[in-house]
Amino acid sequence: MRVLIAEDDALLREGLVLLLGNEGIDVTAAVDNADDFLAAVSDRRPDAAVVDVRLPPSFSNEGIRAAVEARRRIPQLPILVLSAYVEDSYATDLLATGAGGVGYLLKERVGKVATFLDALRRVVDGGTVLDPEVVSQLMVRRRADDPMRTLTPREREVLALMAEGYANSDIAAQLVVSDTAVSKHIGNIFAKLGLSPTDTGHRRVLAVLAYLRS
Amino acid sequence: MVVSVGQRRLRAWVAGAFADVRRALPFLAVGLLTGFMSLLLVPVAVLVLLIGWPALPAAARRLRRWAGLERRRLGGFTGTPVAQHYPPLDGPLPDQIRAVLTDPSARRDLAWLAVHGLTGTVLGLIAIGLPLGAISAMLVPFYWWALPADRPVTSPYPVTSWGRALAMPLIALGYAALTLLLVPRLVRWQTTWSRALLSPAAGVRLRAQVAELTASRAAALEVHGTELRRIERDLHDGTQNRLVGVVLQLGIAERALRRDPDAALPLVLRAQNAATDALAELRDVVRTIYPPVLAELGLDGAVAALVARCPVPATVATNGLRRAPAAVEAAAYFVIAEALTNVARHSRAQRAEVRLSTRPDQTLVIEVLDDGHGGADQAAGSGLLGIRRRIAALGGRIELASPPGGPTVLRVELPCGF
Repeated sequence: MRVLIAEDDALLREGLVLLLGNEGIDVTAAVDNADDFLAAVSDRRPDAAVVDVRLPPSFSNEGIRAAVEARRRIPQLPILVLSAYVEDSYATDLLATGAGGVGYLLKERVGKVATFLDALRRVVDGGTVLDPEVVSQLMVRRRADDPMRTLTPREREVLALMAEGYANSDIAAQLVVSDTAVSKHIGNIFAKLGLSPTDTGHRRVLAVLAYLRS
Repeated sequence: MVVSVGQRRLRAWVAGAFADVRRALPFLAVGLLTGFMSLLLVPVAVLVLLIGWPALPAAARRLRRWAGLERRRLGGFTGTPVAQHYPPLDGPLPDQIRAVLTDPSARRDLAWLAVHGLTGTVLGLIAIGLPLGAISAMLVPFYWWALPADRPVTSPYPVTSWGRALAMPLIALGYAALTLLLVPRLVRWQTTWSRALLSPAAGVRLRAQVAELTASRAAALEVHGTELRRIERDLHDGTQNRLVGVVLQLGIAERALRRDPDAALPLVLRAQNAATDALAELRDVVRTIYPPVLAELGLDGAVAALVARCPVPATVATNGLRRAPAAVEAAAYFVIAEALTNVARHSRAQRAEVRLSTRPDQTLVIEVLDDGHGGADQAAGSGLLGIRRRIAALGGRIELASPPGGPTVLRVELPCGF
């Protein structure tokens, strides 16, 4: 796997290069600004890109804008965006760029190397990855008459993992239950929330997120 | 005794009144001129108002200037400035005409023009006539006999004999007494009326004050917002990145530990160093929010401590320094710290001096002087860049004068009266 990194902080950039290198992932280029990032996307054709949200010059959301632009130039280019803080509009912008292959994680998730690598692989495989923090933020802002309140605690856990972009088998493994149990939970959730059952990919994440944001 | 006390009091009263009259007479005499001019202008103003609307803005501008002159004269005489407040007159002509017609200050100016035309002229004539009457009556005994018998002095009565002529000094005394009694009163009336009409109406004054307060409050909030954004950025892009670095190093170490435990130790040590860096970074950010020494010692004390630490012998001089808002004092502190660092690093100065003062308009003025070789470039130096941003956020100004050969003077002004 060949990965492109865009991170303005020199120490973090080097750290990421070292971390991925140690795991046998080839870092094709590591840049510190959006322009170089877009140039490298075209030149190097990486398998995936890891991008910091805040890049020079204004350190606001250049990283997101660059990621959206990169996906416009190369549709379906897998991009994992790292952010210092949770901002679900960033996640929305990113998810709007097309069917899967995107991720939005808090920066510190890189420390849990196994989870981080798993997220990166899922993005490369066309999956959708959302930070648990984003999802839990969406799940707490609920109205009083919300059908969410009729979900059992286990169903809420399953819903959160669905929103984070996990497939049924991953959810089953994380909750230590069988695949059939997960399928049953998901069926109940969709029935209670009035969602039409969809497949397990990006569209399911979008449906769940659309529900959580409504 | 009683008589002498009465005499003394009379003398004191006369002396006081005489001084008042000497001060009042020039004012009332000029008032006679401006009053007479105003009297002539009243019909012009009425004509413009009735049939000359296109000329209204021009006329209003002239009236503003004319009233402005009188405000200055009045302010100078009474020692209390007369406030003025006019809406701006610009834009297309119809807008200007509407502005004049709806401007309460224009109406007050017009009222003043009419009132001053009458009172200024009349009071001025009385004020000048009374002492002139006294002098001329005093002189009558010296010349009445020289006048033709059919055209004698007739005021206040025909002077046709020595008896009548020698009574004239009594008349002069009467005039003089009237002068002393009346003129101070006249000037009081005149200044009271003029001030009442020339000052903006209470509503206008309050509106102006509210507008001013709103603007300064918005400026203060803007400064506050800029400062918050700076702190947010420092925390997110600085401190938080350092902590992410720690987590990242620990992640690498954790993975190494599984593969090759011996290789993990240096990685753990790197993570430890990264954590120490993160702490230092956090300390720096907190210090830039508000240096604790400012709270303990105040700006002058904190600067004295900076100066004492400076490798170049330096002194600090304060002049009328008052406490400023915390954000301003913090900015001032960092300006001086950065300036002294630059002096020590680049200037090769023998001496440096820091001057601190608060101007009457609530502006903190900082000057850092050194006798080094000059040639300092204010564009250079990243430290100075941060300082400039901070000063700009507070609405302040920075000037650097550093000719080749020196001396170098850094001057910073920070407004603190929000």
